[in-house]
Amino acid sequence: MIDLFQESAEAVGTVVKRFVSTADAVSYVKGLAGDASPSASYLPPEIAGAFAGTVFAAPAELADTRLCISFAQAGIARTGSLLLELANPEQRSATALPLIHAVFLRGSSIVSDLYALGEILTRGLTSAKTAYLSITTGPSRTADIERVLTIGVHGPKELHVLVLEGE
Amino acid sequence: MGKAIINKKINDTFLRRALKNFAAAYPVARAKAFEGIDFEALRGRISDFKQAGLKGLPELVSRFKTQAEQTGAKVYVCSSPEEANRTILEIIRSKGADFLVKSKAMTSEEIELNPYLEKNGIRCLETDLGEWIIQLAGERPSHMVMPAIHKNKEEVAELFSKETGHDCPPDIPFLVRTAREALRGGFLTGQVGLSGANVAMADSGAIGIITNEGNGRLVTTLPDTHIALIGVEKIVPSLKEALDVIEVLPKNATGQKITSYVSFIKGPTGAGRELHIVLLDNGRLKLAADPDFSEALKCVKCGACANVCPIYEIVGGHVFGHIYVGGIGLVLTPFFHGFDKAEEILKLCIGCKKCNEACASKIDIEGLIVDLRDRIRKPMGQKFLFGTMMKNRKLFHAALRTAYLAQKPFQGEGGRIRHLPLILNRETANRSLPPIAEKPFRDLVAERPATSDQRPATREKVLFYTGCLADFVYPEMCRDAKESLEKLGYEVVFPQEQTCCGIPARYSGEMDVARDMARINTDVLLAQEADYVATICPTCTMSLKHDFQKLLEGDDVYREKSLRLAAKVFNYSELAARKIGFGSAQPTARSLSGVEGNVVTYHDACHLKRGCGVYEEPRKVLRELAGVEIAEMTDCDKCCGFGGSYSIKYPEISQEVLKNKMENIKATGVSTVAVDCPGCKLQIEGGLEAAGTGITVEHSATLVARKLRQ
Ligand code: SF4
Ligand code: SF4
Repeated sequence: MIDLFQESAEAVGTVVKRFVSTADAVSYVKGLAGDASPSASYLPPEIAGAFAGTVFAAPAELADTRLCISFAQAGIARTGSLLLELANPEQRSATALPLIHAVFLRGSSIVSDLYALGEILTRGLTSAKTAYLSITTGPSRTADIERVLTIGVHGPKELHVLVLEGE
Repeated sequence: MGKAIINKKINDTFLRRALKNFAAAYPVARAKAFEGIDFEALRGRISDFKQAGLKGLPELVSRFKTQAEQTGAKVYVCSSPEEANRTILEIIRSKGADFLVKSKAMTSEEIELNPYLEKNGIRCLETDLGEWIIQLAGERPSHMVMPAIHKNKEEVAELFSKETGHDCPPDIPFLVRTAREALRGGFLTGQVGLSGANVAMADSGAIGIITNEGNGRLVTTLPDTHIALIGVEKIVPSLKEALDVIEVLPKNATGQKITSYVSFIKGPTGAGRELHIVLLDNGRLKLAADPDFSEALKCVKCGACANVCPIYEIVGGHVFGHIYVGGIGLVLTPFFHGFDKAEEILKLCIGCKKCNEACASKIDIEGLIVDLRDRIRKPMGQKFLFGTMMKNRKLFHAALRTAYLAQKPFQGEGGRIRHLPLILNRETANRSLPPIAEKPFRDLVAERPATSDQRPATREKVLFYTGCLADFVYPEMCRDAKESLEKLGYEVVFPQEQTCCGIPARYSGEMDVARDMARINTDVLLAQEADYVATICPTCTMSLKHDFQKLLEGDDVYREKSLRLAAKVFNYSELAARKIGFGSAQPTARSLSGVEGNVVTYHDACHLKRGCGVYEEPRKVLRELAGVEIAEMTDCDKCCGFGGSYSIKYPEISQEVLKNKMENIKATGVSTVAVDCPGCKLQIEGGLEAAGTGITVEHSATLVARKLRQ
């Protein structure tokens, strides 16, 4: 499943890195960030914990951040897609504005195809709460001028997926 | 449709190249995207739940409304464009805003929202790159998914230079970067965001938006107020159906497996935020209840019907459609924008059915186009032709005989017509036409009624229905078909009372006349016992087998008769193929492939392949009975541009479609094209001859007859 995910994701221009240790994945992401403050959307505690000491960008600075760090609830093998739960508008802006988007994904949460995601989506959409679920596949793209594929129009130009295999 | 604009598009070399490249690239990408997916099953499901939804559309709308309101969204159902425009203006004003940022919404084009808002002092900014280009140019989209496909990078650079005040080179990555930077400010300062939606779910009140650029997410996130303008037909019962729509849309639209972003939005997310859902009716609820045309609303707006259309490929969406373009654009325009806007564009369809084959919702687009012509005003001059002449076989056939005499002065060398008088001259300049024969097939048969070759009475009996074109222009083609079917072991009889199948009348919107022709022919062909009815013209086959049933559905006497007839009707190749391996029809020892003269290429007639689902038998017949090899051409099943009277009404378009066909034929290097249709023969042969290629076109029946004579 992870192999297929990787193949499909790379086919649409996603950078896929596989890690056995979460710490290695985190240091890869820190490398992407360089000296600038990254922004972040929701991160589960064990990943957030590994970023202790990193100063994240404030909401007002989102438009100028270079990198956003997120966590995907699930992945789709067939298309190399990520499911992000983004009900919080600030977290949503954080994932949409920067040039680079780095997303952690647990290998075990990859499902085969869009339909296999149905259950999670239904749960999200039929609960009492409001919801914003985003399926992201590759970097932002356009082919609106002469049908020439160009990466990075309004959203991130780079999408890095850190697949965590060591659970 | 004005000839001037058609000619302008035909001569727009950039547009032509762009559309041609896309037409070539699209099927490849699409096939790849659908790899491992059962497209027929998928679109079957979509068609089913969409059709079911339309039956109870008002109920679906109210369920969606209730659910969405429970999530905190405000929902408005607007019956007219005016009402929708006003509602949106009021929402914007209530926020004290004067600047709207937009992501792509065809519904916004439909109600002409931007001009309305601008008039009322609201600035609108389109953020989808293609839409922005169109907005800067002051035009309308020429494709539902790729709105600016008709603009080249030089034009875009000029527009961007003017807008930004900087000199922009015609370099695509540079232009995309310019758009990113120029539009960023808009996202950050826009006070209200407006989007469309690709699907809406009644059970949760959520909407689904599919985009590639990421502007959809910014428009629905950065401003605190989000307005979603959605056609009511986009509502489906639940996520299950929504997933099918999302599965099919990007693949059928551009050949992408999935777009970069698919977002599900349920309610206003976050404190102080607002979500307004404006549901647009604009004729949809009425259309959903229409017994004949409701099917059109199954459309998921993937644009595939334009992508595969041979006419769209020549003239683009500014001609082939109004606001919605492509085949479905022709169908929706009268309902959304009025019948007066539709009359001309409905004539532009050549009837090739390519769109039906690709449609994500399995809509009979071509059938709807034909039926719609019946609903619109009829042009005067047709009255005599269809009202009086066609219904009277003797009168009609007498007119064709007179035409034989009238054409004589124009026949050139070899008897073909190269120069026609007056206006027809310009329009036929690129092809030569065969003359009407001195003796139609019906006369030849009458002179020699019985074949001497009387075999046992156990032979299956075939009634031969030639169709007018073959009868009066290609009597030898009829003779070859009759002779070869006899040699293959059938008894073949030509009923003299047969007459035109009624297709020309039907295509011109003269359904009553078409119905009369159907009754006359049904009686003629059921008057004597026979096992089969054989045709050599696919349009006739389709008409006898499928259209008669539809036309006579409401006729208590003829409904049953038309079904009985349909069961007997087959195309020549189907009947010939049944005899492979019998008696004299042993598979021929095949000559070495590559030997000059024994290789042909095969052109699938639209009405045979898509109208009757027949494309294997003709190839078998050619290989096994005519003893030839087939070198397949690119796009073998794409229209040749004939379309009956289409080639006379729109000769400029017809000729361009033909040019594409001829290019593909020439690329195979063969010297013979096999067809199963007298119309395709007339069109392709005329083009190949006028171009001096030396390539000939033969009906399969002729090739088989020749072989059997050896
Ligand atoms: S039938 Fe052919 S010409 Fe007509 S809309 Fe469909 S694809 Fe285009
Ligand atoms: S009619 Fe069919 S092919 Fe055309 S846009 Fe609608 S769904 Fe797509």
